Amino acid sequence: MSFFGFDTTLPRDRAAPSERRGIFETPDPFAEVARARLVQGFRGGDEDDDAIDFEDTYDGLGDQLDDDQDAFNDDTFGDDLGAPPVGKDFDFFGKTAQVADAIGEEQIRYSLQKPRAPAVAPVTADIIADPAVSAAAVQPKRTGYEKYSDPGYIPDLQAKSSVWGVQKKPEPTPMMIAQAQAQAQAQAHAQAQAQAQAQAQAQAQARAKKMLSLEEVEAQLRRYPSSLPGQIPVSLPQSMPEPSHPLQRAQMPPLPEGFAQLPPELLHAQFAKGVPPPAQLLHQPPMVPDPYPLAPHAPNMPMHLLQNANLPPQHMGPPQRQMIPPGGPQAQQQQPPPPSQSMRANNAQLPVITNPQQLMHLSEEQRVAYLMEDAKRAKRNHKIFLLSKGNGLMTPQDKNFITRIQLQQLVAAAGNVVDTDSEAVLAEDFYYQVYSQIRGAPRQHPHQPLGHFAQTYLLQTGNRLGGHGNRRQFQNADNHMQRMQQQVQRAVEAAKAKPKNKQLIIEGSLGKISFGNAKAPKPMLNLKRPESSEGGKLPKKPQTDLSLSDRKSILTNIEGVYSTLMEMEDMERTMPPPPDENDPEAIQKHMEWRQNVRSLNQKLWRELKVMEPIVPNTNTPHPFIAFLSYPKGKKAIPRIFRHIDQEQRVTILTMIVVHLDTLDVVRRAQLMPGETQPSPVVREAIDLFSQTVMPSLLGYVNEAPFNIIIGLLGLVIAQTHVQLVAKTRIGLGILTMLLSRAEIVKEADQASERDWQQWVEKFNVLFDTLEPTFADIFPSSINAGDDMYVWQFLAAVGIGASPDQQQRLVIAVKDRVMETVTYSKTLPADMASQRLGNVNLFMRAIGLDVELLG
Amino acid sequence: MLFFSFFKTLTNQTVTIELKNDIRIRGTLKSVDQYLNIKLDNVDVLDLDKYPHLSSVKNMFIRGSVVRYVMLPRSEVDIGLLEDATRREAANQAGKAK
Repeated sequence: MSFFGFDTTLPRDRAAPSERRGIFETPDPFAEVARARLVQGFRGGDEDDDAIDFEDTYDGLGDQLDDDQDAFNDDTFGDDLGAPPVGKDFDFFGKTAQVADAIGEEQIRYSLQKPRAPAVAPVTADIIADPAVSAAAVQPKRTGYEKYSDPGYIPDLQAKSSVWGVQKKPEPTPMMIAQAQAQAQAQAHAQAQAQAQAQAQAQAQARAKKMLSLEEVEAQLRRYPSSLPGQIPVSLPQSMPEPSHPLQRAQMPPLPEGFAQLPPELLHAQFAKGVPPPAQLLHQPPMVPDPYPLAPHAPNMPMHLLQNANLPPQHMGPPQRQMIPPGGPQAQQQQPPPPSQSMRANNAQLPVITNPQQLMHLSEEQRVAYLMEDAKRAKRNHKIFLLSKGNGLMTPQDKNFITRIQLQQLVAAAGNVVDTDSEAVLAEDFYYQVYSQIRGAPRQHPHQPLGHFAQTYLLQTGNRLGGHGNRRQFQNADNHMQRMQQQVQRAVEAAKAKPKNKQLIIEGSLGKISFGNAKAPKPMLNLKRPESSEGGKLPKKPQTDLSLSDRKSILTNIEGVYSTLMEMEDMERTMPPPPDENDPEAIQKHMEWRQNVRSLNQKLWRELKVMEPIVPNTNTPHPFIAFLSYPKGKKAIPRIFRHIDQEQRVTILTMIVVHLDTLDVVRRAQLMPGETQPSPVVREAIDLFSQTVMPSLLGYVNEAPFNIIIGLLGLVIAQTHVQLVAKTRIGLGILTMLLSRAEIVKEADQASERDWQQWVEKFNVLFDTLEPTFADIFPSSINAGDDMYVWQFLAAVGIGASPDQQQRLVIAVKDRVMETVTYSKTLPADMASQRLGNVNLFMRAIGLDVELLG
Repeated sequence: MLFFSFFKTLTNQTVTIELKNDIRIRGTLKSVDQYLNIKLDNVDVLDLDKYPHLSSVKNMFIRGSVVRYVMLPRSEVDIGLLEDATRREAANQAGKAK
């Protein structure tokens, strides 16, 4: 008996294959082939009809292997016989697995480099061709055969298609054979011989059957009508009881594509091998490529071959043949791969790498596309593989722990962001908040509370974990999420409750570590203001109180007014809703609020110092007038007017009117001899005054009762140098305001006769006072620009004037009117019409028109 | 926080930033943080002749501490509001100091 229990008789010593055929239940395996080819022919396959795939010669004998007949396994493997250890030479599986990754990668690389050539990886070939060397190099820890002591064990078949598909005889055949023989001597001598034998036999059969005519084929078809129509009738004899082996079952349906895609050269190679007698097998033409050598490379033998190695010798010949069919690669590749991770990564490449023939039948474009896709896939798989190295390092609990720590840090870092309501936000971020309200929607989310942030974060995490789809895992994750949410809430609450520690003192250390956060950065200097400095300020205060008119105290006053204003504006914002009569609490609140507003109003009023006694004939201006002399004082007026009552407004108006000639915008607007217009600073002040104070005053005057207007006009006449006042824009503006209001009252018939008489009296005084200066109230130069306010004033005077006064008025300003009309002719049309329109304002008031002047 | 609050309103405006090393950069203010670090987009370096190495820079992140001036578009500043904001800030600071 041979080492493996194989039939060791060489093919030439054996009886002719045809004589042995009777042993088997499938007398003519090639009938199946013929049928398959017929089917193929019907499909319009354009293959060379003479080409018979080597796989077609698969006779299904492998299915007859008997698993029960492993009685000689112990003999073969020397198990539990006390024999010396078998050694590791048989561990083809282990060795291959060790280099599997390298093989796979090499194949990818190679197939990318030479897409057209059948994937031949020299490295791989070397490894496979010389397992002895690799065995020496790589010492597996186990022999790999421990498993087989369990008789029920079905080997974990690692379909390393790379092992099958890429081989090419790297060296001339004789060397190959020599190597093979060396191997065979070392490990599987008999097997190698059996293979050679099987090959020869099969090829002999192939040659014998090659010349079947169509009629013969049909006859054979008719002889086997019981074949299932859907089955590709190649592999299994009908009488096969049941597939006894997963591998064999996988081999059963070799796909029709497998036939179609077997390249002709393969068949040629087979025939080249087959035609000469077995002895000449060793001298097959070296030129012919042999992608699927049946070469006795022991590692190529699948596990089941080894397992069934002790089949009776007479079975061994043909089954061997069957065991390593030329179509093996195809069949093997269709096996479901074992679900190992690295294997899965490699497996994705299989169709391309192991089956170059498939590629060759694709068009160039398709091939490139296919290879590209394959490369992509390979890359992705590789990435996944790399990433998956860390898989399972952390349990979900670990991850949650880390997340909790991070969230706590977040809460701590953000400090008291959580409990900031809109008030606090406004205090911290006043400018931005108000600005965005004024100028439209905020451009970015101004303030993302941590609550939202944390919730968003948690939600995301939940989705991610839930995405695994595993229900149990999902529930787990859900649970974790809930716990984490609670944790975060607790952390947030703790951060709120705990007064913030700005310093950390580590026990045993001398220093302190102070830390800040986004809201309150760590202070570089921490200076405590000494209490005494507060005392040091005290002596100054009486001083500021004493001199009301110095610049600093005026500015302080203004700031005081502003802070009160802001307080009042805040009060306005926090106004409680109109109280419900049945809700005493709400009424109480409202009363308190009104009380607050009132006290603030009083405070503001005091700070404005409007009621300071007027000291006549003094150089220091009244505090309120001083207040108005600063731009921010002027700017405060509109805001102040919103918060004060009518009585206070009239008081302010009265103060301004009384001090009209000491008002900075009037006093400093007086032109020095030789000046054509006030200095830019003054002009700016005038502009500001007309933009801020005047509208407020006008707003009041337009509603003021007539007697107040009369009183104010009387004050102007009595208290101020009307002629000086009239030379300024602001002065004229206020006069215009009063005159036009009186005219409106008169038009509306609201004035009593007595009031009107009073008014006319005052007006006449004003007119008489101003008459000599009517020509001087204009800006000195005609081209100085805007003189509209003057024409407005003149119009206001003209409306209220008697016909006699009107005539005097016309005489007084006649020259200016004419000048303007003449001048406007030199101007561009639009400017000219504007100037003429101004003049016309006055002319129409006295019943004339510029047009009449021609 | 006043400056932070202020600069936030200037996002997406074109500003010119002068650094303490005299480089002036004009660009769109993309964002600013509480350290007044600044992110600029569509960067345009003034005096590019002097700083050719910046010619290909299209956007940048400027550390707040190296900024000397930020030149703002006047129309985008609400002066009255800014004054009030300053007053509030001063009041806040005074409140904190006590």
